[in-house]
Amino acid sequence: MQTGPFNKILIANRGEIAVRIIRAARDLGIPTVAVYSDVDRTALHVRYADEAVHIGGPRPAESYLRMDKLVEVARRTGADAIHPGYGFLAENAEFAGQVMDEGLVWIGPSPSAIATMGDKQAARTAVKRNNVPLIPGTEPGIRDEELIHAASRIGFPVVIKAVAGGGGKGMRPVQRAEGFAESLATARREAESAFGNGDVYVEKLLIGARHIEFQILADAHGNTIHLGERECSIQRRHQKLVEEAPSVFVDADLRERMGNMSIAAAESVGYVNAGTIECMVDREKNYYFLEMNTRLQVEHPVTELVTGVDLAKEQIRIARGRRMGPTESLLEPKGWAIECRINAEDPYANFMPSTGQISTMILPTGPGVRVDSGVFSGSEITPYYDSLIAKLITWGETRSEAMLRMRRALSEYRIMGLKHNIPFHINLLNSISFIAGQFDTTFVERRFNMNTYEQDPSASELETVAIAATLYAHRKRQLASQVVAPAKRDASNWKWMGRFERMHR
Amino acid sequence: MKYVAIINEQRYEIEIDNAGGVLVNGEPRDVDFLNLGGSLFSVITENRSFEAVIDDDEDKIAVMMTGRLFETQVLDERAMLMLQRRGALPVSSGEVHAPMPGLIVDVTTLPGAAVARGDTVIILESMKMQNELKSPADGVVSAVYVEAGQAVDKNDLLVEIKASDAEA
Repeated sequence: MQTGPFNKILIANRGEIAVRIIRAARDLGIPTVAVYSDVDRTALHVRYADEAVHIGGPRPAESYLRMDKLVEVARRTGADAIHPGYGFLAENAEFAGQVMDEGLVWIGPSPSAIATMGDKQAARTAVKRNNVPLIPGTEPGIRDEELIHAASRIGFPVVIKAVAGGGGKGMRPVQRAEGFAESLATARREAESAFGNGDVYVEKLLIGARHIEFQILADAHGNTIHLGERECSIQRRHQKLVEEAPSVFVDADLRERMGNMSIAAAESVGYVNAGTIECMVDREKNYYFLEMNTRLQVEHPVTELVTGVDLAKEQIRIARGRRMGPTESLLEPKGWAIECRINAEDPYANFMPSTGQISTMILPTGPGVRVDSGVFSGSEITPYYDSLIAKLITWGETRSEAMLRMRRALSEYRIMGLKHNIPFHINLLNSISFIAGQFDTTFVERRFNMNTYEQDPSASELETVAIAATLYAHRKRQLASQVVAPAKRDASNWKWMGRFERMHR
Repeated sequence: MKYVAIINEQRYEIEIDNAGGVLVNGEPRDVDFLNLGGSLFSVITENRSFEAVIDDDEDKIAVMMTGRLFETQVLDERAMLMLQRRGALPVSSGEVHAPMPGLIVDVTTLPGAAVARGDTVIILESMKMQNELKSPADGVVSAVYVEAGQAVDKNDLLVEIKASDAEA
């Protein structure tokens, strides 16, 4: 069933998004069932849900991707709806179909909408019917010689993309015609090994482009609206790091035009539930449809804060077959929201993921601060899942207020035991280009460096660091010498000897 | 005790007396240095309050303060003497270890190849990301212990580099 009444939700996911959905369900008074792998027994989603069922080993293929087990757990626990979260099976049309065939409600769009939007070419064909603008490019399944011709016709720079890729994987930019043949061979080889499908296509590479996406909400009563844009240009290797709503680049007119285009794109596949239209916008404010994400996004909280709409709750309401809460598209966002993704990655070592136990975590609080997280002091970041520790979101009446609150929150946030990217965010929030809103999708990789700061540390700060490091070394040294030195007795040796002899008579 | 702390190529001569008093380059400083549990410390110097996360890694002390990482070296009298004799700071080891369990995607170097500090030598896939592992020193690759497609555990030795300045 795509929509219908239900009384218990199984959450086929883990981490912060599972916790987010549990909270929405609890706010609606609906009980939840969590599932977990061997390494997630102590995770928050397992502890916060009403029921929890172990489903297998730590690797996703043994647990969170096991469609058969998930459906079986739903049957066993009496859950009559499944929420997939994001990642794992969220955009798997086959799983959505299985869930519906079981007579369960799938809290998401129809399998056909997922399948169409999940296939780049089918998506392009579908949205084209509704006059949605697309980035100039080729079809897939074209031979190398023809692709080389097509690339020069489109004009360099271009990007070679894997048909089966996505989420930033399987993309290779090519600047000049000279290196194209070589890059094409590499791209095909990579696509073959990563996705088992070597098919690629070529697209125009936009210069100075921003990644801006629109939140869509559609119910089964024929209503489709948008809830404004999110600016997601701060990314590294196509992984978003910071998102904002609204975007400094989007004025009321552009919002209305892009919003209408997004609604048209969603309607082209008869979309129901929450979804996101990702767009590229060039410097001249030309915008192009990139893809549709047929699920709740990681960065959905920024939209929630500027609209006052609880998107996870709306998803459940829509899946129950009710009319969605908001009835009109959002043209005037309320204030400004920023989200920083706090990842277990070391910004001083090329964003290398870090695993281990979080020994201490002190969360920031105070006005305008929200933290969505699935971990706690003592929990383990394992290599099996992504490196997201938490999402830190701040709201302000203006962009500057939201940014100042974010700076405050970042400076309060303490995570110890593993490396994390809070220093990256602090550095970014001090960067003049970021503050001025002057950035595109290449900003972090090309123009941002953890070795440079807008301001040098003051002399007194440097001296404090020197003192702290020295006192640390001094105490450690003293501690080491104490361990080696014989323990002092609290009584005289004569007394001690007397007691010893009495005990050993 | 007398120490020399080196940060950003600046030297600070710091003396800690038996009563715990601190002198920086001969001048007294009012310092309250308190452990808040684990590696978290509160430092109040001349009434200015800071929180710092301090960890040590071999011969370096990493201080995370005001959202920045400061790599510092603290030398006591004995270490200073050793340093004067040797004439240089110790060079880092030329071993590249796996920072986490994962799958080797690519080995981008060969035994005998010359590498510069910061050159990518291994691509390791873990946590859904491809990570470039870099050479810790300028030198020549003396051994490669893994190949593409191989699964590795945390701390496995992957590549050894003979640093060019270690030969002297």
